Amino acid sequence: MVNNIDKLSELLTEVFLLEPEEFSLELKRADVETWDSLGIVAMAVGIKDEFGYHFTPEEATSIESVQDIITILTSKGITFDG
Amino acid sequence: MTDKPQSWSLDELQQKAERPIAVVASPSTASVARELLPYPHYSTFDAIPQDTAALVVVGGGALMDAAKMYKHQHLPSSQLVAIPSLWGSGAEVSPVVVSTENGKKEFAVDDAFIPDAWVILPDLVKALPEHLAHYGCGDAWSHVLEGALSPLASEELRNEGALLIKEMLTTKLSKDIAWFELSARACRLQSSSSVGLIHGIAHALEPTLRKAHPDDGWGHAKLCSILILPVMKLCQQSSSKWSDFAKAQSIDQQQAEGVWTSLFDQEAFQQLLPHLEANWLSVLRNPLTRTNHAMVRRKDIQFFLAEDFT
Repeated sequence: MVNNIDKLSELLTEVFLLEPEEFSLELKRADVETWDSLGIVAMAVGIKDEFGYHFTPEEATSIESVQDIITILTSKGITFDG
Repeated sequence: MTDKPQSWSLDELQQKAERPIAVVASPSTASVARELLPYPHYSTFDAIPQDTAALVVVGGGALMDAAKMYKHQHLPSSQLVAIPSLWGSGAEVSPVVVSTENGKKEFAVDDAFIPDAWVILPDLVKALPEHLAHYGCGDAWSHVLEGALSPLASEELRNEGALLIKEMLTTKLSKDIAWFELSARACRLQSSSSVGLIHGIAHALEPTLRKAHPDDGWGHAKLCSILILPVMKLCQQSSSKWSDFAKAQSIDQQQAEGVWTSLFDQEAFQQLLPHLEANWLSVLRNPLTRTNHAMVRRKDIQFFLAEDFT
């Protein structure tokens, strides 16, 4: 069974067109060229499709790292326990 | 927000256009344009006198975009009046100019590009080939769908989109001048939100297909028309957005899907597929794809290759 960490990893790898080895939980927006304003829109769409949660515009633009995404989703009851 | 463009009748053009007027009409519209517009006509923008106060352009989206850019660069204080020869592109009302540079589609967006007025000339439609009218309808459909479903669309835009879709469902995909107005509204809607994968593919593949199959009439409208059905089916695999939207807005989904099926062309899609596969990464990187209403993945190319859409 795919856990939420794997789902998020796969999703962000797709959204930002990364190679699988480029993804890590420590990844930051500043490290990813495609994490621009359109990347934020695409990420919000993917999060909605995969996790059923729709980021508010404020949340989407405040996210600076993968950890920020996990923090927001965890606060909405989505668990990332591995 | 801008209040441009105004919608003028031919009489209003006569009354409101500043003098001197210069007309540039595409070859296919030239004879009708000469009959209805008793002003000096020029075959190229470069031939227009520099004291022109109103530039009237008659033709399709590409000519209109060229006129918008010419006015912006050379006649910034003149009026621009757009008379579309076909619906679909919405160039007569949009702030976008699309050009092809080194085989790639380039965009410029500025409210200053919006024409001051646009005029519908029903006489232009008489000589319009039926297949071009059909693809023009598909182009308008792609604008309203991607605009209304866009992650950037406001509630107000979604409501306007739903209204427009219902009107389009009652308008046949044929030479009906009602499409001029429907298309203009669809274009305004998508230019206030965004487009998605249909346009991401169309913009990435158009130059390639034109080069590879120069006699098969590949253009933006044909691409958008054919792509609606496969792209909407792909998106429905991962997202319920269309279905939720249609239910909430009382849109007959089956009827809408029937329209997309009428716009689909299996033979043309087969011709397109190898180019789609070869350029899939460019499609994914295209800014238009990145505002699609459902997530698009690398593996999704397999869906297009495997699925039978007939």
